[in-house]
Amino acid sequence: MKTDQSSAPAAVRLHAAPPTRKLTILALDPSVRSSGKLLRTQIEIPNEVLSAGPRGYRVHIVDYDATTGSFRSPAPIPAGMNGESGPPCDPFEKLSEDRLLADPDFHAFMAYGIVMKTLARFEFALGRRVGWSYGGHEIHVAPHAFADANAYYSEQTRGLHFGYFTSADGERTIYSCLSHEVVAHETTHALLDGLRERYLYPSSPQQGGFHEGFADIVALLSLLSAQSVVAKVLDLGARKASGEFLPRAQITPEKLRRSGLFALAQEMGAELSGVHGQALRRSVTLQPRADYLTSGDYDEPHDCGEVLVAAVLNAYLEVWVERLKAIGDRRKLDRQRAAEEGAEIADRLLTMCIRAIDYCPPTDLQFGDFASAVLTADWELNPHDEKYRLRGALLASFKSYGIEPSSLCSASHQEGAWDRPPDGFQYANTNFDSLQSDPGELFRFLWENRGPFRLNEQAYTRVLSVRPSIRTGPDGLIVKETVAEYHQQLTVLARELRGLGVAKPSGMPADMAVTIYGGNALIFDQFGRVKYNIGNSILDPSRPEVQERQSRRLAYLWEHGAFDSGAARMRAFSRIHAQRGTSWYRSLRRPE
Amino acid sequence: MAAIPSSITVRMYNVGFGDCFLLTFHYGASERTARHMLVDFGSSAAPRHAPKDYMRRIAEDIARQTKGKLDVLVATHRHRDHISGFAAEGAGAGKIIAALKPDHVILPWTEHPDAAPDARAARFLGSLETMHELAGAALRTSRNPGFAGRETRAQLQFLGDDNLKNLSAVENLIGMGKRGKAWYVNAGMTLNTLLPGVNITVLGPPTLEQSDSIRTERARDPHEFWQFCNFWEARLRTLEAASKPATPPDDPPPSVRWFIQQTRRVEAAQMLELVRELDTVLNNTSVILLLEAGSRKLLFPGDAQIENWTFALRNPSWRKLLADVNLYKVGHHGSLNATPKSLWKLFHHKGSEQQPERLQSLCSTRSGKHGNARAGTEVPRRILVEELRKNSAFASSDEDCASGLSKTFEIRL
Repeated sequence: MKTDQSSAPAAVRLHAAPPTRKLTILALDPSVRSSGKLLRTQIEIPNEVLSAGPRGYRVHIVDYDATTGSFRSPAPIPAGMNGESGPPCDPFEKLSEDRLLADPDFHAFMAYGIVMKTLARFEFALGRRVGWSYGGHEIHVAPHAFADANAYYSEQTRGLHFGYFTSADGERTIYSCLSHEVVAHETTHALLDGLRERYLYPSSPQQGGFHEGFADIVALLSLLSAQSVVAKVLDLGARKASGEFLPRAQITPEKLRRSGLFALAQEMGAELSGVHGQALRRSVTLQPRADYLTSGDYDEPHDCGEVLVAAVLNAYLEVWVERLKAIGDRRKLDRQRAAEEGAEIADRLLTMCIRAIDYCPPTDLQFGDFASAVLTADWELNPHDEKYRLRGALLASFKSYGIEPSSLCSASHQEGAWDRPPDGFQYANTNFDSLQSDPGELFRFLWENRGPFRLNEQAYTRVLSVRPSIRTGPDGLIVKETVAEYHQQLTVLARELRGLGVAKPSGMPADMAVTIYGGNALIFDQFGRVKYNIGNSILDPSRPEVQERQSRRLAYLWEHGAFDSGAARMRAFSRIHAQRGTSWYRSLRRPE
Repeated sequence: MAAIPSSITVRMYNVGFGDCFLLTFHYGASERTARHMLVDFGSSAAPRHAPKDYMRRIAEDIARQTKGKLDVLVATHRHRDHISGFAAEGAGAGKIIAALKPDHVILPWTEHPDAAPDARAARFLGSLETMHELAGAALRTSRNPGFAGRETRAQLQFLGDDNLKNLSAVENLIGMGKRGKAWYVNAGMTLNTLLPGVNITVLGPPTLEQSDSIRTERARDPHEFWQFCNFWEARLRTLEAASKPATPPDDPPPSVRWFIQQTRRVEAAQMLELVRELDTVLNNTSVILLLEAGSRKLLFPGDAQIENWTFALRNPSWRKLLADVNLYKVGHHGSLNATPKSLWKLFHHKGSEQQPERLQSLCSTRSGKHGNARAGTEVPRRILVEELRKNSAFASSDEDCASGLSKTFEIRL
């Protein structure tokens, strides 16, 4: 054995080390060039003393290729990178383009960098450490995982797998780990699974679509929060651009969408079309229309997710163009400033979208729930929304794509945001301190308040998580909150459904065991009081819409074979991704 | 000779996992006037307790039953379990069949040996070729030691084997078609002149244009089609390129062994998924034939799955035709997705034993060879078989031919 021990850093003076390091990555896929050159960027990620691999406290790169069955020894850590002599260096900053593309060590470091950056982005937005769904602390990453135009997150391997394949002309090898978008997308699947594990269970087209759509939103907004990428979009959008200035007439949401983002998608998809480049291409071509989700044509998870991506990207463009009105003169505007604004808006929107996850119900998510969650999460920290008016733009854009916020908010603070629950909870027996981190304490609180929480006493109830969270409020002061989620499941025989007000799917045998789910996300304020109670009751005789939702879900799952044995968990992203490519002969709609 | 058959004998041969049906149309009492039609002759797993040369014995029986002359031969699609008996090499069953000099040979449009109607179809046919090669590559990979668990490996080999090119059988079929008359069919064609008093309607496979017509606005995106072709080409290219590692692999340290082991399992499962996918595409090139003689209707859908059926099931007049089918050859050996619920719902003659003129269903299969019950993919699928038993007169080659080569069913007109 020649690894690990030899590479373990012996004595590094960490006290002097800065909290972050810089690492060169490709901002966009190698197929995208700017004046003939690759688009490099330096990202800032948490600094740590790395072992060979690289391997750090959250990410373990394992260069194992399943197609050839071969393992490549961990990449050594270049001298200076662990801060042996001053601040940690970025060994790839000056490397030639050919070396970057061909060097498997760079591939490993780039994948490491983007996974770390995406993770840090989530932790920043949520104000706490974020874990993986499987309980371990590290995630494996295979940068050259197999010979296929595919990439996936697998809970089974506790890993992210990035394939490679030969280009259409047979000349070059394309590595999906060199696509910033692909790596960020797959990392987001893993992070979202850690935050909301129920979202990978079969439920409805929108819940499946949400995993895909959210991963695309995070990946695309991550790209767009790099100024060099935004500058590229501007150049593609405003064809008559010269030097430092852009002609104002060229800067419209439509132009940026059609020529800017679309052309960028084309360049990204030039070689990786089997894997991702498509998400952007498709989303920017979906014009606002309110009937996509009800038409039945968007039930496949990727298709469904694209509607959500389109709504967010549309809001992004609207806000950006609106903002550009404030800079430059009547005829032209400063290219640099315009790019800065674009990157800033993408960054803010990204924070909003990630933060929204805490405000999403833990089971049976619908896009309308996400819309309400985004609006609530942002209102909490930024009630005025004056500079960019992001909430207003998002709300309008969601509606234009047929995504109506689930909350019919009666309060006047923000249209579409969740309501605060009526105050009627019993806190007398709850220990405030343990309530912030102990699932057992939270369960006691739930049980003692089973009346106001409308818990179903026949169902099995479990607290999935309790996490303290620290965010900076609008006044600059620290806001301490506790974020928790619980979940209920009730298993009955199909013939008992009617008595509960839920329709039995036609053709389902009467003696079949059926499980229905419910669950809530709880936000406690700094005093340990329930601030939000967001979710789906398992059943609620006083609200027929709850039973209707369960009926719809069962009918959908029954139709799609989720009750067949072995289909209990559809935890197979790779399958969803592969289907993209094979959908031709299978994309016929079923006549049932 | 009477212009309308007086009765039909359907002979279901026990080929193990595969299909072979001989239909004899009787015109009055004389055997000389009978006409014969063979639908498929293939096997990918032998029947239980079968002698080694079971395929040759079946071929000889077919020759005996037809008195040395076959009128119509149908090969529904290019899967080993439907055409292996037509191979002229090896046991020579194919030579026996060729000597029966079929007048008409019916094959799906995708098997036309000459130019495809247009560039798009040519591209599609190219993809089918690629899939056969891919099946071969998957088969070779699955033989690597330690590649996958026993069950996954057995499934991969079974499916991989079924999807090979079967070149000898295909060449023999094309040869027979040239000597007689070949019909490369697609949905909507009628073949009413082949057998006196028998109308044959082709319900599938749809052409590419026909498929277009039922796809949604969005799926009609030409990009989808090119992706489909690229998908298979890219997979074959990379699988071939990767078959030889460039540098000798390093020895994995303990810290990565768990991950490697899990990864190999996932990878094998993925390959199986891929091979299943291509199996489905090829099943969907199946010819679907509806035979009408007098007031009787017989339905032979090969292995057509839902995607192939969709075109036919959209056609109201065909739905009407299908309503009073008397004999149904169960699609794809009893797998669930080859008997669409919407098709099953159409059949009027299904019902309990009291049902007059009860639907006859014939299932040629061999259990324990394809899929597994735990994953809900076993063939024949238990819940489908239960429904067929309950609501039709059900016969399975696996259970009902055990004592002999075949079982016969008489249909009086």
